[in-house]
Amino acid sequence: MYFVLTALRGGPLHGHAISKSIKELSGGRVQPSVGTLYGILERLNERGVIAVDREETVNGRNRRYFRITDEGQSLVEAEARRMQEAASLVLRPTTFASLVRRLTA
Amino acid sequence: MTTLERRYRRLLLAYPRQYRVAHGDELLDVLLESAAPGQSTPVLREVWGLLRGGVRTRITHQATGTAWADGLHLGVTAVSAVNLAALLPFTGSLPLWTLLSVLALLAVMHGWTRTAFLLTLVIGVKAVSIAGGWQPLDLTLLPVYPSSLADRPLFQSSSPLEVAVGYGVVLSGLAVLAWRRHRPRVRSWWWFVAALAAAWAGPSWLPEDTLFPISLSKMAAEVVALGLAVAGAYLARDPRWALASGIYLVVTSADLGLHGDQLTRQHLAYWGVLVVLTLATAFAPYRQRRHALD
Repeated sequence: MYFVLTALRGGPLHGHAISKSIKELSGGRVQPSVGTLYGILERLNERGVIAVDREETVNGRNRRYFRITDEGQSLVEAEARRMQEAASLVLRPTTFASLVRRLTA
Repeated sequence: MTTLERRYRRLLLAYPRQYRVAHGDELLDVLLESAAPGQSTPVLREVWGLLRGGVRTRITHQATGTAWADGLHLGVTAVSAVNLAALLPFTGSLPLWTLLSVLALLAVMHGWTRTAFLLTLVIGVKAVSIAGGWQPLDLTLLPVYPSSLADRPLFQSSSPLEVAVGYGVVLSGLAVLAWRRHRPRVRSWWWFVAALAAAWAGPSWLPEDTLFPISLSKMAAEVVALGLAVAGAYLARDPRWALASGIYLVVTSADLGLHGDQLTRQHLAYWGVLVVLTLATAFAPYRQRRHALD
């Protein structure tokens, strides 16, 4: 869900473009199947986190373009901040650890 | 149409028809765009994703409409299926009453509440009469001997009160649904399969001489149905499955309670499984969200 919302921060995208964007953003680590991706899109759409921006017909098939809503924008930013704080607990040297390092140097 | 498209279309059948009509082509478009040139077989990851997505969509699509009314209707359907299951092994001796019971379940499943109420009332009176040894509607040779599906006469171990509980719950539920004047959704034909499984007396897992037998096939049908209810409650975060499971548990508990002096440890273990699964349907909708986007 996080990568879907991150992908949509750049502007409205359709399913295949979202899938490609997720792959790029995650460095190829995350590549949801189409069934999984559309399950996420439907749930986010129901919760009002994303919305259908417009619909187009390509090769006789309907294609929905999704955009992130204001609520979605706030949610993904809050989630990014939460993850940043969690990461900083591990990556930032603690006072005690730096003190030990200084003493043993 | 290419071979790959045809195969993906087949896999999309996992989704409910309504969803397929609205978005099936869109999913197919993305699947075909993601495919390698000359590819004719769906990737395993996509196959699994479509099957999971389809089942999930089918379950969450059930969580529409008024939760309490839908849950009540689902519970009434389950108890009606069990009422039919009690009569099915005796079709040879009671063809008319079994047929009426089939029609009653059919009417419940289609949401024809008034028809279902009348049919259930008539069958209920007959069933309670057979359990009590009375003959108010027509003459029936008692005891009613079974066919290959059962191993003992009809209602041999059931009191009239016990039979009345099952029919009473269905009648009360149908009365509420009829009063609401909003036709409930059409239920799956799988309820007839569940009734057939519940009707079969074997394989046996309780001692041969038990006075109150519960077949393994009935227990399997109950575990599958309640397991699906737990999945529905978990995925859709909706309480309707808890209400339906609760109604079913009340009827089963009354059934067991009225045989209090004949129960074994296996009976209690069976009841424990039903209680755990019912509690799971009650708590699953309120599970904690793992993160803000869950």
